Amino acid sequence: MKEKKNTAKREKKKPKVSIIFKSILGIVILLIVFSVIVSIMGFNNFTDALLDQYSDGAFRTANTAVMEFDAGKIDDYAASGGKTKEYVTALESMERLCNSSGSTFIYVIRPDLTDYRHITFLFSTINKNTDYTRYEFGFVRDTTNEEYMEKYRKLYEGTSEQELVIRDKGYIETDPHITAMVPIKDNDGKTTAILCVQRQMDNLVHVRNTYIGKILIVMIVLMILVIIGQIVYLHRVFLRPVKKITEEASRFSHENDLPENKLSEKVKSNDEIGILAGSIDRMEERIVKYIDDLTKVTAEKERISTELGLATKIQASMLPSVFPPFPDRTEFDIYASMDPAKEVGGDFYDFFLVDDDHLCLVMADVSGKGVPAALFMMASKIILANYAKMGKTPSEILRAANATICSSNQEDMFVTVWLGILEITTGRLTAANAGHEYPVIMHPDGNFEIYKDKHGFVIGGMEGLKYKEYTIDMKPGSKLFLYTDGVPEATNAEKELFGTERMLAALNKGSDGSPQDILKTVRSSVDAFVKDAEQFDDLTMMCLEYKGR
Amino acid sequence: MTIESKNESGKLTLTITGRLDTSTSPKLEEELKASYEGVTELVFDLQKLEYISSAGLRVLLSAQKTMNKQGIMKLINAREEIMEIFEITGFTDILTIE
Repeated sequence: MKEKKNTAKREKKKPKVSIIFKSILGIVILLIVFSVIVSIMGFNNFTDALLDQYSDGAFRTANTAVMEFDAGKIDDYAASGGKTKEYVTALESMERLCNSSGSTFIYVIRPDLTDYRHITFLFSTINKNTDYTRYEFGFVRDTTNEEYMEKYRKLYEGTSEQELVIRDKGYIETDPHITAMVPIKDNDGKTTAILCVQRQMDNLVHVRNTYIGKILIVMIVLMILVIIGQIVYLHRVFLRPVKKITEEASRFSHENDLPENKLSEKVKSNDEIGILAGSIDRMEERIVKYIDDLTKVTAEKERISTELGLATKIQASMLPSVFPPFPDRTEFDIYASMDPAKEVGGDFYDFFLVDDDHLCLVMADVSGKGVPAALFMMASKIILANYAKMGKTPSEILRAANATICSSNQEDMFVTVWLGILEITTGRLTAANAGHEYPVIMHPDGNFEIYKDKHGFVIGGMEGLKYKEYTIDMKPGSKLFLYTDGVPEATNAEKELFGTERMLAALNKGSDGSPQDILKTVRSSVDAFVKDAEQFDDLTMMCLEYKGR
Repeated sequence: MTIESKNESGKLTLTITGRLDTSTSPKLEEELKASYEGVTELVFDLQKLEYISSAGLRVLLSAQKTMNKQGIMKLINAREEIMEIFEITGFTDILTIE
């Protein structure tokens, strides 16, 4: 049988989130984190380096200015009102320094010494390149903030020789600057004023912004490159082979046969994916082999089952099954039935006319069941019939059959046989029993009773055995019931045996009936007893009614 | 069906419990085939045997034939129902039943 291929369109499942997207997302996040760290580090380094540079310059300027400044005249300057020639000379010299050093402001202040909240400007110069206005002499102003106050205090109290204030809060503010402060001391070493140099740091902001901009550009370019690279790489190394594997697995699950080209030939990879492809190849081979084996075994089973069915039919056809078998013989009536427990059983019955006046009856049970028992049964049946038709007596038939069967019985199988020959004109039944169940006899106006006949050993069990023979005189109306052990040993769910007592009761219940009715009565009695329990043994019965002339 | 097996220097005693029929007989046959060697006395204790079918009888017959060549075989403690089967089938003439 060929299965229909590709009847249902194969669904192509798309992943919810592509593995490429996932891996790129990871890399992008990594890059962003990395560039932020680099930016912050670079930013800080730039700031530190530039600040150092700026403050160095500012302090150099401040120190130069202080050196050029006559500290001893500070009080004179303060008292000058900004008008004396000396003051103007000093201011001009300071202005030159301011311009040449590139400082924004150079100024000299005196804070009020009680709480440093106000400062008074003594000198104030402004770089000519800026558009600030300068504070006039004696201008008083609030101290900018606490930081300045603290630093003024330190310089005045002599705990510090120079102070630096950095005002670049926000880092990107428009006018960040630094102020370098040095004290102006009189001859006693006492601070009398503070000289401050202020420098703008426009350059710093510019450099830092450029730096961040560059990092941003580099990062974006890098990201694009990485994304493209990753897509290409993943596609080649990972996704393409995985897709091939997925397609192959999907194909295999629908078609269940081997592919034209092995997966490991399509996916040439020396990594785990290559190993996976190889594993799938091997798995497919094994599954296909397994399916083949299974198909063979199933076919074989079907064949055996068919043959068993045939065997059952052949076996059944071997037993006379047309009733009445001898429609023109009014001297007797006969009926028989066999119900095997398995498909083929080992029980059999037989009856045939040896000549016009002699009817041979056989009831037999082969040891075991199934095909071996059936084969043995066929052989036994033919052998018994052959010897009977040669005109031998029952005991002779059994002896000869035993000898024949023993000569070729490798499997120690045996068959129990009851065999009788009825002389139709006189009603004299001559019989012999080879290990079979006792026959049951009913004479006119009597009951069915077990006839304990003389027993010999089963046929096929041992060589050289002889069998005893006996006769029963049948009167018109006498009935003979023959059966196999399946009848008394029929078992119900409680493991009870049907037994000969129940069998006799059933027989006597319908003893007036025809052989066919009697068998039916026994059968229904057995069925009522066994109910749903499994039938262990074949159930075979035969009944003969002698009517006489 | 269960088989209890006891071997005392060449005397093998098998105690069979349950039913000895078509489905269980092969088990007894295998057990016997595996243990014949060196056995000079084979004893079947049938006290707990509930039922024996023709398939079971066949195994006993086989055992008897084997033991005829290498020693003796006995059946002991058979119940009445089992004895009846032995009698009907003529096995009482062939087997040693005590």
